[in-house]
Amino acid sequence: MNDPGLKDIWVYLAASPLLGLTITLVAYGLAYRLYLRTNSNPLANPVVTSVALLIGLLLLTGTPYEDYFEGGQFVHFLLGPATVALAVPLYQQFSRLRQLWLPVTISLIAGVVIAAGSSIGLAWLFGGSTEIQMSLAPKSATAPVAMGISEKIGGLPSLTAVLVVITGITGAVLGTKLFEWIRIKDDTAKGIAMGVAAHGIGTARAFQVSPQMGAFSGLAMALSAFATALVVPWLVDLISMWV
Amino acid sequence: MVLLRGFLTLVIFFLLGEAVRVLAGLPISGGVLGMIMVTFTLMVRGRVSDELAAASQGLIAVLVMLISPGVVGVFFIADRFSDHWLTVLVALSVGTMLSVLTTLWVMKKVAGVEGGGDD
Repeated sequence: MNDPGLKDIWVYLAASPLLGLTITLVAYGLAYRLYLRTNSNPLANPVVTSVALLIGLLLLTGTPYEDYFEGGQFVHFLLGPATVALAVPLYQQFSRLRQLWLPVTISLIAGVVIAAGSSIGLAWLFGGSTEIQMSLAPKSATAPVAMGISEKIGGLPSLTAVLVVITGITGAVLGTKLFEWIRIKDDTAKGIAMGVAAHGIGTARAFQVSPQMGAFSGLAMALSAFATALVVPWLVDLISMWV
Repeated sequence: MVLLRGFLTLVIFFLLGEAVRVLAGLPISGGVLGMIMVTFTLMVRGRVSDELAAASQGLIAVLVMLISPGVVGVFFIADRFSDHWLTVLVALSVGTMLSVLTTLWVMKKVAGVEGGGDD
């Protein structure tokens, strides 16, 4: 009982937000390196690995989520400015559109409506609660936008974040297979379909196929974030009037 | 200083977005509204300042990290959805594939994109 032992230091640090913040940064750093090591395989997506590391660490040390989030919230808060920042690639991609803007816009809106409508419908059909349906609705948009929409239409933003990631991985893996089955060769169309359905994770996959597919996937991802934000809240209103 | 000025632009538009959301009672988050406003501002101005480009790139590069504290939280409320995982997964994967097919099909109809073997 003389000098402060390791346990005291731990108790002190565990109670300070600094620890939550640090482990969030470290987990991401490690996850990102693993992702690069596997040649950007969608299955080694850094979200999955970093979240698994964080959950493992919290369980191992018996830290309640609320304590962790004291520190994690600083990182979480930056999602707001990061969402605003998405305007820059969106604007830069607009110049690619010129001649293609009409077909791209129409197919994009169709894709967004089907992505949201079909997942709400399927979840409802299989007895999923309204909360689940609403968390699913914006799943094809990029995470910060989807979380923002989910919160406003009565979903759970954190559940939506998980669904967004799973959607991205599903789209990246199955989407590429689907293109082979139905023998679509046009990289513009493939890229747009990928970006609408599977946002950033799909776009990363598209860049591995070809730069053209990647560029159009990035464009579609940015535009569909925009379209999802505008269309999904009204779509949800419309559906709730019928049901 | 460059990064800070870009970040300031983002924060100001975020704040504006929040203000518009509260004032107009819109079902869209302040961040998304801010994004929409910045997009239109850039379209009117016709260029992106280096400051804004630098700050945006920095944030977008670590988007994955920014969502991780929120994603971790789901694990701790997962028992609320334990009966529904299958539902969620079916809705999610079928919905995603339907969206891919719809986008392709409409692209093909409207733009006359060549589909390969099936025309």
